[in-house]
Amino acid sequence: MKAALAGIAVSALALCALSSQALSQELRMTVWTGSEAHLKMLNGIAESFKTKHPDVTVKFETVPVNDYTQKLTFQVAGGNAPDIAWMMEDAAPAFENAGLLMDIGPTLKAAQGYDFADFSQPAMALWQKGETVYGVPFSTSPFMIYYNKDMFDKAGLEDPLALAAKGEWTMDKFQEVSKELKEANPGKWGFEFKDGEGYASRMTHAFLPPIRAYGGDIWSNGECGFDKPEAVKAIKQLHDMVFKDKSIVPPGEQGDYFSGNSAMTVNQISRASKMAEAGFKWGIAPLPSGPGGEAPVIGQAGLVVFDAGKNKEIAAEFIAHMTDKENVATMAQFFPPARKSVLESDAFINGNKLVPAEMMKGVADAIANGRVHPAHEKAPQILAAMAPRVDALWKADADVDAAIKSICAAIQPQL
Amino acid sequence: MEAWLFVSPSAVGFLIFFLGPLCAVVYFSMTEWNLLTQQAAFVGLANFEDALLENPDFWHVVRNSVIFALGLVPLNMALALTLALALSRPFFGVVFFRTVFFAPVVTSAIAWAIVWKFLLQGEGGFINQMLAIVGISGPNWLREPNWAMAAVIVTRVIKMVGLNMILYIAALQAIPRDYEAAARLEGASRWQIFRMIIWPLLAPTTLIIMVITTIGSFKVFDHIYQMTGGGPENGTLVLAFYIYQQGFKFFNIGYASALAMIMFVIVMMLTIVQVMLRRKGAE
Repeated sequence: MKAALAGIAVSALALCALSSQALSQELRMTVWTGSEAHLKMLNGIAESFKTKHPDVTVKFETVPVNDYTQKLTFQVAGGNAPDIAWMMEDAAPAFENAGLLMDIGPTLKAAQGYDFADFSQPAMALWQKGETVYGVPFSTSPFMIYYNKDMFDKAGLEDPLALAAKGEWTMDKFQEVSKELKEANPGKWGFEFKDGEGYASRMTHAFLPPIRAYGGDIWSNGECGFDKPEAVKAIKQLHDMVFKDKSIVPPGEQGDYFSGNSAMTVNQISRASKMAEAGFKWGIAPLPSGPGGEAPVIGQAGLVVFDAGKNKEIAAEFIAHMTDKENVATMAQFFPPARKSVLESDAFINGNKLVPAEMMKGVADAIANGRVHPAHEKAPQILAAMAPRVDALWKADADVDAAIKSICAAIQPQL
Repeated sequence: MEAWLFVSPSAVGFLIFFLGPLCAVVYFSMTEWNLLTQQAAFVGLANFEDALLENPDFWHVVRNSVIFALGLVPLNMALALTLALALSRPFFGVVFFRTVFFAPVVTSAIAWAIVWKFLLQGEGGFINQMLAIVGISGPNWLREPNWAMAAVIVTRVIKMVGLNMILYIAALQAIPRDYEAAARLEGASRWQIFRMIIWPLLAPTTLIIMVITTIGSFKVFDHIYQMTGGGPENGTLVLAFYIYQQGFKFFNIGYASALAMIMFVIVMMLTIVQVMLRRKGAE
């Protein structure tokens, strides 16, 4: 009996020793993409890291986007943090303030040919506190209008790209064409909110572009922006589009753009990988402008290293490798860069396999002029506090002014 | 020694995965523990005090859970009994019908909820299109708080009723036929047979079904998570979902543990009450 127990114990120990030895050569990085094209590109970058560190391999671990931050948090809390993670902008402040992230500034600045100053300052805002660098923006991806060219043609309308070129792509025009698209394509819609989640998990993504077009914001400097006059105008216009024009996919309905059920939606260029199989002609155009001018919205993700990691030095080096000029240019086809040199390069505009140059120009402009979606340490609490009030807003007979006031009353204490 | 070794696989599992976490929750409920910062402070009963006395959401959530249970339990049991009475005796095709009603029980709850969410869309939904044929303009089911609650209750009942039906069928088949035959000889009507013979003999099963269905209704989570996310206007925000939100969205593990303890006490009290009522009824 004793011998058997001893045998088990010894082999268990041996197993532990073996696996920890094997792990010391492997970096684990969590990502939220499962796209084959994206992963192929990332694995290529990991492969090229071997020229500097032949013994290091990088394993990319896909965590579904909806549970991403939650699962990451549990890995961290369970003492099983990955070495490197993509981090979404809304999660960044909480992780930074909790002291979980390594200052990768020294490693980046020491890397040969890295040129840290090449990163645009506005894009770094979320990831840098004074001299401390908590992360590098890896995707600085503006919200763009995706449109179904076939549906525009059927309605005999000029597409958003053409309208934008003439300077006529405004919020009013947006409302007008949405309505005409709806009328020309019975059973379908003019516009769908981002990923069809505009009434739920992406409610701020639904509000933010129009509110910014009118010159407002959802919140800034700890103050709620929904009840400011600019925002109120924008929200009322959206409300009319949903319930009077019936041109936006209403709450409780499904009208997926990618399967041809809505003529327009808002998304980022990483989704272009999905358009190859869409089966209709499509295009990408800037967000409609408004009285506040052009005010693009940027969704951002960064690369961070966990301070508790055993291999954090080498992990930081991998980030330096992944975000050097060459690799940022490689990734730019899906994940727009925050490096000025790449952004201004000819290759970024002309080199995208999926998106034509005339459309990529709009992407580059939006990155240059855009502002990142507001982040907050208490983002989940703010969203939860907003949700029931936003539900009350999205009804045909809603008292819009009262609903907007109650949104602010609910979130102001959290801000 | 050997005996302990033989029970050890399940005993170790029980200790690690059940008793351990259960005790841990009691301790966690008395801490303020942020998962992200890993800072935990012992706060005594402060979490309970906040939930019971200060947090207005808590009572709203409890109210929703009670409404859900009050809707689900009677509906589920009535339907289960009706189906069981229809399907307890053999007839051609009985196995097919039993299978049809039991199949949803073994279906993934998430898949079930996704399908119903699709069917219950506002104007374009299948249910509303069917209603439109007979001239009824259906509501936007999952966007109106009261209708959403009704919708999650009914779809949950359809999903789970098969289990209770099987329990009732088993109980019905255990009742000796002689009782019924004797009653019929005495001239009892079918209703009288059911009321005076079958129903009392089903009482132990009814109690069990009532207890497990009530517990199940308080624990409902996956269904709510997928169909409504607690909305609209927090109309379907039930206790189990609220615990998830506090623990896994806001990372307030201490507070979530305290809420879980409260839920445990509520369910335990309801079970005790049901058992006592049954005893009283039997006397």
